[in-house]
Amino acid sequence: MSLIVENLGKTVEGEVHLADIDLAFEKGGFYVLLGPTLSGKTSLLRLLAGLDRPSAGRILLDGRDTIGTPVWKRRVSMVYQQFINYPNLTIYDNIAFPLRRMGLSPSDVDAKVRGAAEMLGISELLERKPGGISGGQQQRTALARALVKGSDLLLLDEPLINLDYKLREQLRDEFKNIFSDNLDSIVVYSTTEPIEALMLGGEVVVLNEGRQLQTGPTHAVFRRPATEAVARVFNDPPMNMIDGTVADDHLLLGGGLRLPKLAHLAGLAPGAYRFGIRASDLGLARGGANDVAFDITVELAEISGSETFIHARHADVSWVIQEEGVHTYPLGELIPAYLDPRNLYAFASDGRLAAAPAAGV
Amino acid sequence: MAALYRFLKYAAILAWSAFVIAPFLWALTTSFKTSSGVVSGATYIPWLQYKPSLEGWGVLFRRAGKGIDIVDPYLSSLTVTVSASAISLVLGTLAAYGLSRFSFRMGPVKNADITFFFISQRIMPPIVLAIPFFLMLQALGLLDTRLGLILVYVALLLPIAVWVMVDFFNNIPVELDETAMLDGCGPIETFWRVILPNCKPGLVVAGLFCIIFGWNDFFFAFILTFTKTQLLPVAVVALNSSVTPWWSLSASALISVAPLVVLAFIVEKYLSQGNLAGAIK
Amino acid sequence: MFVSRQKFLFLLPGLLGLLAIILFPLLFTIRVSFSSWDVVVPGLDWIGGENYARVFADRRFWEAMGRLALMATGTVLIQYVLGFALALLVWRDVRCKRFFRVLFLVPMMTTPVIMSVIWRTIFHESLGPLNDFLGLLGFDPVPWLSIGGMAVASVMIVEVWQWTPFMFLLLLAGLLSLPEEPFQAAAVDGAGPVRTFFMVTFPLMAPISIGALIIRLIEASKIMETVYVLTSGGPGTATETASYYIYIRGLRDFQIGYAASMSVTYLVMMIVVLTIIAKLLTRVFILKDGA
Repeated sequence: MSLIVENLGKTVEGEVHLADIDLAFEKGGFYVLLGPTLSGKTSLLRLLAGLDRPSAGRILLDGRDTIGTPVWKRRVSMVYQQFINYPNLTIYDNIAFPLRRMGLSPSDVDAKVRGAAEMLGISELLERKPGGISGGQQQRTALARALVKGSDLLLLDEPLINLDYKLREQLRDEFKNIFSDNLDSIVVYSTTEPIEALMLGGEVVVLNEGRQLQTGPTHAVFRRPATEAVARVFNDPPMNMIDGTVADDHLLLGGGLRLPKLAHLAGLAPGAYRFGIRASDLGLARGGANDVAFDITVELAEISGSETFIHARHADVSWVIQEEGVHTYPLGELIPAYLDPRNLYAFASDGRLAAAPAAGV
Repeated sequence: MAALYRFLKYAAILAWSAFVIAPFLWALTTSFKTSSGVVSGATYIPWLQYKPSLEGWGVLFRRAGKGIDIVDPYLSSLTVTVSASAISLVLGTLAAYGLSRFSFRMGPVKNADITFFFISQRIMPPIVLAIPFFLMLQALGLLDTRLGLILVYVALLLPIAVWVMVDFFNNIPVELDETAMLDGCGPIETFWRVILPNCKPGLVVAGLFCIIFGWNDFFFAFILTFTKTQLLPVAVVALNSSVTPWWSLSASALISVAPLVVLAFIVEKYLSQGNLAGAIK
Repeated sequence: MFVSRQKFLFLLPGLLGLLAIILFPLLFTIRVSFSSWDVVVPGLDWIGGENYARVFADRRFWEAMGRLALMATGTVLIQYVLGFALALLVWRDVRCKRFFRVLFLVPMMTTPVIMSVIWRTIFHESLGPLNDFLGLLGFDPVPWLSIGGMAVASVMIVEVWQWTPFMFLLLLAGLLSLPEEPFQAAAVDGAGPVRTFFMVTFPLMAPISIGALIIRLIEASKIMETVYVLTSGGPGTATETASYYIYIRGLRDFQIGYAASMSVTYLVMMIVVLTIIAKLLTRVFILKDGA
């Protein structure tokens, strides 16, 4: 089974929701659509499901255009961000619904329903109705119903976004297990959070403003973002981006930060570049021999979960540094920060990647 | 301060309750009067101020000669109201679902315009339609028949059903329909199996309004029927113009409004269960 | 959603059914308005815009329209305020609230004509209980139905009695569907009942209020039966509303052509006015809410 998206576009009342999308999905594959809000993820999923018609391009399933097939004749499942279940049916009947539509025998239906409920951990809820269970349990029900059909295409549109933090982490782990066994369906999962993409793996399609920025194995795209735009989308908090120049033997970043041309940076031609480095690759303690120190003034220490993000200034350049644990820092004082040039990304003036850190650094 | 507030609250409630009940109480006592209880001025308490009698009530069930027959108009009203409401509800709900879910374009006319067209039918004062309806029914040979009235009432009640149900459907997420379709249901099956079962509150409200407006119509029944078919409101009002004693008037009035009062209980039940909330927006 | 042939299956039965029944009367009325059909000269001739010219010059018609505007907006506003107050009163923390809710609903379930018949006996100047009761309190008998201004008031009283429950129902259903959080937030902020009402309750009820007002305005403008029974448009023309006047000309005097032209004028004006009011209300409420 092959699913190919050719030159797909969707425009609604003059607004471009999607343009020039080309993708190829394979059976058993797990694909993440990563992008900020309004990047076209939901539009793309709806077109794949057949709920909307494309304005341009086509979607080919096993070589045939899907446009003629009405939704109810396809083998597609979808899980929405709002918890959608049939309100008047019990959980059991909710999951059984598609199977009964397909005409399975009651014993087959029962076996499959119980199997799916078991896998999603909702076996004790089968007699309840969606109105009487929690959000997380409702979403599990929706997922169970989506999986139980054994569809060719399983689409998930930011399924965890309406759940609380802890539940999200828990379900993410369960997803990995559920989808790792999958060999028959194509799973497409959309999210705005880079960390979800990294955790779930598979292949990533980075989208922004309706356009496809980069496609490839998730970790590879993470390590080597093809453009600044990809680096921006794929990092949370965003990558620190500093203008700078490359000379024959050193780099000069904004704020007067002078760095040696080490490792992957050695081959850079002189000129103007933008340098990027992840907040997590910076620190307030000397990490290794290659670390370069520079003094920063702390402006704000933002505590998020079990990490602290330090917003600071060096000369007239803003930096964000990520530190493990919860700390407080003296505001307004000058303290040293450390940067290893081997973690530096270099982007040319046209936004394209010029140099990226080697793997394993 | 809080005590004063509570006192005012209950005082207000009781005041309005008194206002609501007053006409009924008056009609009730009057229905048991005879001329002595009316001619010399207002009287209220039976036995103390006037001699009660069942004359007013007796008149209701006598058929020939003196008195009015209340049974026949009752049945006519029932038949016509229920039929027209049922038809309006079915057609109206279907149309409302279509308008809520799909986009229609018939020339320059779009969904919102079609919905507006339905609802604007209610603006027509009965007068405007009375004569043409009269001529229409006459041409079809349906004057003075229940069927003719049912036809006319459908035109009047359909907009109500559409108004209530369109709003109701708009409050059900489209994603539910989509999920049903992804699960293998065509549009009709989706409507029948998934959306409709979740519609009870809306249908109750729509049905209720249809029945209320249908049962209580006077004007069209007045214009379009004469002797063969007579609806309740017409029968009662006919008494008003002739020299009918107040007591028979009151008795027939009370009998006529009783059935719908029962409906008030049903509505309240749904209201308190919070079910109506989603239906009326 | 998407395009499919089947969507017409939903819309068409109702739409076509309605059109079938309504189209002829509508077109007929328009056609007749251009004729001089009356008792003396029955039949569809063509006299162009003569009827319409007559309508524009007809003082009685415009007075009736004015009266209608006054009475309709007056009663609807009163019903809105009272209905809202009643809904708030039996919304929560009241004993026997279910009983009162049922009671408050009752008037709208009754047949307006029939209740008007009863009200007529109540308003009776010498034999009715109302003046009797006022007499007990030391007031002179009020000419409820025989003096212009009072007659209008009487009609309005009956309308308010009859239709406040409708507002009450819509508004109570709305109140019952409001989320808890804004009220909890207001309580935490120390807002008293009055402030909570204006800052939280009223804005949240805006969409329902608009719908209720518009629907009631549409229905109220058709006031006919109450007037017919209580006052027959009198005394004189004091309670003559537009629909009543059209009724007189059309079905009593049988000037069908003229009545038709009045009807069409009335219809067009109503649609325009109601659309404007709808837009205005939306703006007023939304502005209050978003400000």
